[in-house]
Amino acid sequence: MQSIVGPLLAMADTPAAAAEYVAPGVGPAYALLVPVLPLIAFVLCAVCAAMRVKSKLPAWITVGLLACSFGVTLAATMAVRAGGPMISHGFEWINFSWGDGPGQAFVADFSLYLDSLTCLWMLFVTGLATLIALYASEYMSHDVGQGYNRFFAAFSLFVFSMACLVMADNLVLLYLGWEGVGLCSYLLIGYFYKKPSAVAAAKKAFIVNRIGDLFLALGIMLCFVHFGSVEYKTIFEQARPYMELLTQGRIAEIPAIAQIIPLLLMVGAFGKSAQLPLYVWLPDAMEGPTPVSALIHAATMVTAGVFLIARAYPLFLISESALPIVGWVGALTALLAATIGMAQFDIKRIMAYSTVSQLGYMFAGLAVLGSTAAAAHVFTHAFFKAMLFLSCGAVMHGFAGQLDLRKLSGVGSMPGWRIVSIAMLIGCLNLAGFPVITAGFWSKDMILGDAFANPSLQAIGWILLLTAGLTAYYTFRVYFRVFAGPQQYEMGDEHHGTHDDAHAHGDHHGGHGHEPGHGGGHDKHDDHHDHDDHHDTPHAPGWAINTVLAVLAVASFAILIPLKSGPDAGWVGSMVSGSSARTIGDAAYLHSAHGAGHAHATFFGFDAHKAMLVVSSIVGLVGIGVAYWLHRAGRTTAATARADALLPAAGPLARWAQNKWYVDELYDAIVRKPLLILSHLFHVIDRYLVDGLVDLLGWAPRGAGRTLRPSQSGQLHGYALGMAGGIVAFLVIVLLVIT
Amino acid sequence: MINRVAFLWPEIALFVTTCVVMVLGLSRTYAARKATALFAGVGILAAVLLAVSTTPRPDEYSPLAGQTLLPAMPLFAKCLIGVVGLLLLLMMAGTVDRDEEARIASGERTFDPLRSNRAEFYAFYLFSLTGLMLCASADNLIWLFLALELTSLPTYIMVAMSSNMGRAKEAAVKYFFLGALGAATFLYGFSLIYGAAGTTNFNQIASHIAVDGFSPLMLAGVMLSLLGLAFKIAAVPMHFYTPDVYEGAAPQVSAFLAFVPKAAGFIAIVLLCAVVGWRFAPSATTDVLETSRQVTGGTQLPEAVRVMLWVMAALTMTAGNILAILQSSVKRMLAYSSVAHSGYMLVGVVAGPGVSSQSFFSSNGIAAVFFYLLCYGVMNAGCFAVLAALERTPGRDGSPREIETVSDLRGLCRAYPALGWSMVICSLSLLGLPPLLGFFGKLPLFTAGIRAGEIPLVIVLGINSAIAAYYYLRLAFTPMLEEAQPDGEPIRLAPFPTRGIAALVSAGGVVVLAVGANTLMQQSNHAAEYRAPERLMRAPASLPPHTHEPGLETALKAQQ
Repeated sequence: MQSIVGPLLAMADTPAAAAEYVAPGVGPAYALLVPVLPLIAFVLCAVCAAMRVKSKLPAWITVGLLACSFGVTLAATMAVRAGGPMISHGFEWINFSWGDGPGQAFVADFSLYLDSLTCLWMLFVTGLATLIALYASEYMSHDVGQGYNRFFAAFSLFVFSMACLVMADNLVLLYLGWEGVGLCSYLLIGYFYKKPSAVAAAKKAFIVNRIGDLFLALGIMLCFVHFGSVEYKTIFEQARPYMELLTQGRIAEIPAIAQIIPLLLMVGAFGKSAQLPLYVWLPDAMEGPTPVSALIHAATMVTAGVFLIARAYPLFLISESALPIVGWVGALTALLAATIGMAQFDIKRIMAYSTVSQLGYMFAGLAVLGSTAAAAHVFTHAFFKAMLFLSCGAVMHGFAGQLDLRKLSGVGSMPGWRIVSIAMLIGCLNLAGFPVITAGFWSKDMILGDAFANPSLQAIGWILLLTAGLTAYYTFRVYFRVFAGPQQYEMGDEHHGTHDDAHAHGDHHGGHGHEPGHGGGHDKHDDHHDHDDHHDTPHAPGWAINTVLAVLAVASFAILIPLKSGPDAGWVGSMVSGSSARTIGDAAYLHSAHGAGHAHATFFGFDAHKAMLVVSSIVGLVGIGVAYWLHRAGRTTAATARADALLPAAGPLARWAQNKWYVDELYDAIVRKPLLILSHLFHVIDRYLVDGLVDLLGWAPRGAGRTLRPSQSGQLHGYALGMAGGIVAFLVIVLLVIT
Repeated sequence: MINRVAFLWPEIALFVTTCVVMVLGLSRTYAARKATALFAGVGILAAVLLAVSTTPRPDEYSPLAGQTLLPAMPLFAKCLIGVVGLLLLLMMAGTVDRDEEARIASGERTFDPLRSNRAEFYAFYLFSLTGLMLCASADNLIWLFLALELTSLPTYIMVAMSSNMGRAKEAAVKYFFLGALGAATFLYGFSLIYGAAGTTNFNQIASHIAVDGFSPLMLAGVMLSLLGLAFKIAAVPMHFYTPDVYEGAAPQVSAFLAFVPKAAGFIAIVLLCAVVGWRFAPSATTDVLETSRQVTGGTQLPEAVRVMLWVMAALTMTAGNILAILQSSVKRMLAYSSVAHSGYMLVGVVAGPGVSSQSFFSSNGIAAVFFYLLCYGVMNAGCFAVLAALERTPGRDGSPREIETVSDLRGLCRAYPALGWSMVICSLSLLGLPPLLGFFGKLPLFTAGIRAGEIPLVIVLGINSAIAAYYYLRLAFTPMLEEAQPDGEPIRLAPFPTRGIAALVSAGGVVVLAVGANTLMQQSNHAAEYRAPERLMRAPASLPPHTHEPGLETALKAQQ
């Protein structure tokens, strides 16, 4: 197996790096190309926009340069595997010093911290970005022109920002990337900027993220105040004494301020990774084009929070309360999002809630000291979730924006949809955790095992186990409704780009375009598929979409190789344990520090990890079975299924879940409304009190100016007199004052 | 003296270029005369390259050891002058003889060698730059005075030549007479300094002050010199001429006036202050300097000089900003803002180079001044270049008219996006909005002021930055947000593409240099490095380290 994957796996079986802190070496300069190449792509796309290019050129620029970036990442990964963590110095960015002592210099260079965690993240970021850009080249083809240029410019800028975020060697550069991905997310969610719901969703995403960002910024500032630096290498070095206190069980002696830092960073992570209570933006973010949902809102950006915690893991370990909070937030988010996902009808939203739910899994994984498991889940999730989104996107693309699972059925057996449906099936199997053959099963199983192995957090384990069952159910609900069963469909009433001026129908679709506003209310059966009527027929995806889906389908199995190439998550595990995210040395003392009593809890007398293999398999299969029975067996129309009969039994619960537990309404009532009232109040105060004062203040300089103005008479002798008088006045007054 | 010539290659190159430009300008062929601008550009570039290649590095400045107070300053200043000079040269295209050349181009008239002034204009421009570079190399009072006047005299003529309008002539005459008053003031000050110290050499004056203390005559000389130099930087009370002259001159010449005399003034002020104070600067930490600290009574400038500069700084920025608020004319507004920026930079002079044992950019006010000169040069050139690149429809006499009021700029971002956004970026940078260059320029002025304990002055600086927002935001938002009035006068591009290029380069510089600000800050910090005068440095060499030289100390005490 190793010979296939080559040197990347070379060190897979070597034990985790020694627990001792390893000072980072000097990294290769070419690593800088990883962020720089997407930046070049951004600049070139902007040039295309300036030159009003009307072709697919920006897409090919983006795909090409991102592929190069992926290649460089591979090279950097090999270098890191051979040489341990290192720092590639770019240029001095901020260097502000006011003394010699520690903490008297604020240094933040444009430098990249290359360790295995960085490389793991960048591998899937650049790899998936390349594939998804290729997919988008076809998906966005109806917008060729300014919209297309804008899309790929923002896309490239996103990858640059993400690279800064992940590869930064200091928290300030990470923050730059953090804000950068937020900005790109905003730009891309609001891509259809003439559609009010898209604009609202973009604003919502941005504002909710700002709340998290505020806390992240505070955390970074506190980091500087306490550790005297924002550079990882210094922070980790400074945190080592605390780690020793921790090993000796003297956690109470760690200063409170150091324990507050992770609490602040954590809120930032909750915002970016859509966790309670800041998860509400992610489902709405699905207003963006599907490739964006796949890359940014499923695979990469939303895992930034997980990355932040993994990167700053030493800081989280030394805090008594941070990791348990992360765990509970993650578990509750996972459960809540899963229950909402069960009751939705929009397949993209279901996938969005499943993303929120899976992110909750990752947070819980981090919290139960399963950083390896969490990172592995990020890795596998990135692939299968991207694939799920891209499959949904292909459906949306082909059926004129139709996303309602009650209006689509049997897509898998329609001609030309084979690859999409296979990809969808594989993605669903992964998400549902189908035993043994799927990577999603193994990574989820590790988190569950770690949760049950942690005696104080077993409750989290039970929540996650319940969520696993719900996940399997709602995932296959989508599959059985949309891809299986009798063929029946109804076209959407819009075409995902109708809102852009640059839209040109038909021309780019090889005759399969749809006019906007058509298709609503039509209910056509496949047996009289009318190919002459281009307005109402679905068009199957073309080569780019199919290629990408096929590659991803293969990749989602191929990642089993690095995942299972050795014990303890194999290659992925060794990548994590060789980084700052490792659980140092024997995790036992950490358990004793964070939990209570013995190190390894058991699951009804069995070893938690082994028991979970069986239990989670059963739970997953049961979920799939229930979905089959409720949504596939005996279903003859797209709109109704056996599950409808059960709805009354569920009572108001189903309705509440369908309405997302009224969380949006709750936020509206407790946050937005009071703020609105307050803002009206402030408006009045501002209008009459503050404006009055400002007017007064504004009047003062103007008044002073009016008094001074006559001195500028334009008369030469007046000026000369003024100067001479000024000189005399200065001399006399200063000399009088001084002597 | 003669060995200093070896370090004047940039000046020599510029001077040779000037002469060649003048001779070329007398050529009988039109093409040769057109080449003068290009030749001037090549000359400035050559001067910069020569500055980089021939100026001795401070660590190897042994030939001049102990002869220069700020050994690394000339290199920085000359590169800065060259770069901004090139930017200004781009804007100078078409300043003189425009109508004449338009007639020649239309075939209305044939080329007449007697009627062309083009070469003279460029020659004056180069003379002024030569003078500015010579200021940076100055090591005694006479040299400094001559260099300052070489900088200033051509500017009077350039103002007069810059426009056909009567107000340009009026401005030139005002500028000349008031300039003469200013020059007389600092010349008188210089002569008093000479009278007190008995020498014109900076090092010897500094050594004299270190040994003999600060006599009242010396104090009067220094104060008069600084007040006279305040004319060059347009600081209160010598600022009156600014709006009239800037308004009268063509925008490209105003841009030149806002940078070249100001840079000369600040270089001279920094040199003078280095002569009379700051002997406790970062790199001068020997024990002898410790004793000289006792002589002049502190780590600052002499108290009277400090107070005067303090008051001057506070009044200058306040007067400049307050008067700028009321202006509707763009050029007058920028003129007052130029006054205000001089006030900001004076804060750096008041703060001085800091007192810590090691040099830190954030606490070095002089480095902040040098860095701010660079920032101001670039962003100010950008604003004026936009004005120079545009014109209103011709008036009755048929000649195109300049942009007059702020409202002329309405809808500029829509009509000419590149120029409009250059204006927006440059004025926001002048305002000091992060992350543009102006912010990074202003930040060290604040930090240096705080580190030097000048808290009230820093508060005045902060308030003034807020007042400045009032008119800079107007300058930024009018092109960006307001629509062009349908009945308003349409604006069009002036037929000189290099002016627009200058605007774009400046705006690009404002963004790009902000990214590389750190390197430039280090360079300016390096430029502000201070070396103690020769006599003081040599004294402890014969003694074991870390002991006071008893002879000198008793001599100092006796003097007190």
